[in-house]
Amino acid sequence: MSPSPVSWVLLAYRLPREPSTPRSALWRKLRRLGAAQVLDGLAALPLDARNREQLEWLAEEIVEASGEATIWVGELGSAAQERELAARMAETVAGDYRALIEEAIAARDLPEGQRRRTLGRLRRELRRIRARDYFPPQERELAQQALEEPAALVEEPVA
Amino acid sequence: MRWATRRHCHVDRAACAWLIRRFIDPEAEFVFVDDPDEVPPDTKRFDMRGAELSHHGGDCTFETFLRRYEFADPVLWEIAKVVHEADLADERYDAPEAAGLDVLLRGLSMVRDDDELLALSEPLFDGLYEYRKRALLLGREPS
Repeated sequence: MSPSPVSWVLLAYRLPREPSTPRSALWRKLRRLGAAQVLDGLAALPLDARNREQLEWLAEEIVEASGEATIWVGELGSAAQERELAARMAETVAGDYRALIEEAIAARDLPEGQRRRTLGRLRRELRRIRARDYFPPQERELAQQALEEPAALVEEPVA
Repeated sequence: MRWATRRHCHVDRAACAWLIRRFIDPEAEFVFVDDPDEVPPDTKRFDMRGAELSHHGGDCTFETFLRRYEFADPVLWEIAKVVHEADLADERYDAPEAAGLDVLLRGLSMVRDDDELLALSEPLFDGLYEYRKRALLLGREPS
């Protein structure tokens, strides 16, 4: 049985080239939400109440910045296209997890206090990545483990 | 006065409803709609697309309320930071309470309807207000 198709919420937009501040703010916010840039001016997220609301607020901001924006809800025309888009989104967060794993490994050689602070920061970063991870790649589990292992070291009593 | 907002309230709308009842309109009645077109006449709308009292320039609706009604109370602006981060999580402010508040209200909204959610979150925001007020007076976190 093939899984039922994912519903998507899409933001179709046009924003003036200048000033560039609203453009870069929008880009940052879309990235934080984990949106896929389907085309220039078309961003997609799996449909749920939160994602829809967040894209609606971005649409408002675009209109306030003298742009145009509409919100669409839809499905991809074929399962293959859906898999492709999901794989692309998974690859993006996988890259974020890999960067985090590298930092976690590097942190093991840091002096105690610094290691503890770095791990705290990386755990917060992990939570942020997980919030935009809709199609979890295997790196998610690895990132979780990479942060658990040195935590055990930190809690070891000093001999 | 009657106030209209979108159904299935979350942190920003719950905080705004609390602000309205406590500081703007103690007699406030709330109407919840699925679509802005359903807003009945003679109601003031908030936290929905096209409303003046909504998200503007990266502010959440609670912040817009504080600006439009010219609230100078620093405690309310402290609460605004928490609401902003719980709603948008864009790291404009450092508000570690935000993640907890987000989960608590999200959870409440799963087991209660909008009227009950607003009723239950009122004492929560009263408490947050009192806590932040004492913190400001003390210059540190109160125990």
